[in-house]
Amino acid sequence: MKKERTFIDKMHSWGAVWSVAALMVLYSAPLIFSIHYDAFPELKTLLKALSTVITVYWTTAIIEVITYTPMLGAGGTYLSFLSGNITNLKLPCAMNAMERANVKANSEEGEVISTISIAASSITTTLIIAVGVLAFAPVLPKILAEGSVIKPAFEYVVPALFGALGASYFVKHWKISILPIAVGILVYIFSPSMAVGTMIFVTIVVSVLGALGMYKLKWIK
Amino acid sequence: MGDFKTGTLMYCLAAGIIAFVIIQSVFFMVKAWKRGKEIGIEKEKMKQTVISSVLFTIAPAISILATVLALASALGIVLPWIRLSVIGNLAYETVAAESAIGVFGSSLANEIKDPTQFSTIFWTMTIGSCFPLVLLPILCKKIHKATQKITAKSGSANALGDILGAAAFIGIIAAFISRAVAGVPSDGPSAGFMSVSVLLSAMIFTIALDFLCRKKNLTKLEPFVLPIAMFGAMGIAILFTQTLPVSLTEFTWR
Repeated sequence: MKKERTFIDKMHSWGAVWSVAALMVLYSAPLIFSIHYDAFPELKTLLKALSTVITVYWTTAIIEVITYTPMLGAGGTYLSFLSGNITNLKLPCAMNAMERANVKANSEEGEVISTISIAASSITTTLIIAVGVLAFAPVLPKILAEGSVIKPAFEYVVPALFGALGASYFVKHWKISILPIAVGILVYIFSPSMAVGTMIFVTIVVSVLGALGMYKLKWIK
Repeated sequence: MGDFKTGTLMYCLAAGIIAFVIIQSVFFMVKAWKRGKEIGIEKEKMKQTVISSVLFTIAPAISILATVLALASALGIVLPWIRLSVIGNLAYETVAAESAIGVFGSSLANEIKDPTQFSTIFWTMTIGSCFPLVLLPILCKKIHKATQKITAKSGSANALGDILGAAAFIGIIAAFISRAVAGVPSDGPSAGFMSVSVLLSAMIFTIALDFLCRKKNLTKLEPFVLPIAMFGAMGIAILFTQTLPVSLTEFTWR
């Protein structure tokens, strides 16, 4: 037991160091640019631009850290928040890996599988974007242009991903699934362009409260 | 001064940041792999996790690449590349870039030609998106300890912990599914015939493949069920737009 805690504790220490290092690396990029081109932004303009962005981003950041951290495991959390695209890529990837490997999210096996899965996903995404930018930048706009044969496939990548992922979960937990989907659809009927980030918050709360209620009523075990 | 967006300096900055992301991922993967071996997880299982995660990532990564290209006309290719390789997220980066450009009374449709404007956008996107990295060293361990406390109690509390964990994740899936059924996404087509067809195809493929795996005992296929179902459903999108009448494929109810 003690040994298990030690590994996860170590993950947290490494994660904290990597996060601080990442902050330094990321901030150094605009700093180096500004120094090199002698192009520092005017404070007033920067604050004006930041006023909208910070309100949305920073609030979302707080909600995301609290919501996703328990699901991603320690290593997975530090990796996901650096490489981004959590809800549309890293989290589904890790959940699928843990589900297929038959391990639980809060076990040490879950920690190992989730970290391996997210690390593999991060490396793949980074490489695909890098290769895409360097090698295919001139061709890709044509491939993904209006009227191209392949374009519809990428327009619907999100329903394809969540349909595939949802199916195995819904078969297993159909009683829990009905309520959040129904509420989600209902909310979208009245507010069709609600940001999916806000909707996630709504459906998670509904889903967790619904599951808790069903557990108390002994509808699910 | 036109090429500052795609000059050598920008490429060097991108290379440095990308190397950092890859080194961090390799570091954590090696640590997890070693620990996995110590606690007796079969090598095969970990290998399959890597392969299925790589396959799973390909299609979403290409759509992220598409966002990089969409932002490239205004910002050059390198800044969107950096931003979507770290912390970036399809929807947020576009919003951040738009609000920063908006301050100068311009929009993403116009190319940025002034280095100071560009640096303002660079700083805005960086400051806006880096906040989770400030929060993690402070909050991550505390959140995990609290979750472990709740789930590691008695047997029944453990069962409840598993249920609530699954419910939280179902909540996330439900948001995207209900959007495909009834929403108007900012980054894609509105809900309609195509979004629901793709959604249902992906579900049917997954259930059929899962059934096949169980029936024929195809344990090796299991990690690939999700990527295959996803690609299959994307194939359906192509097939339908090529073969069905436009009045049907472009039919949306939102």
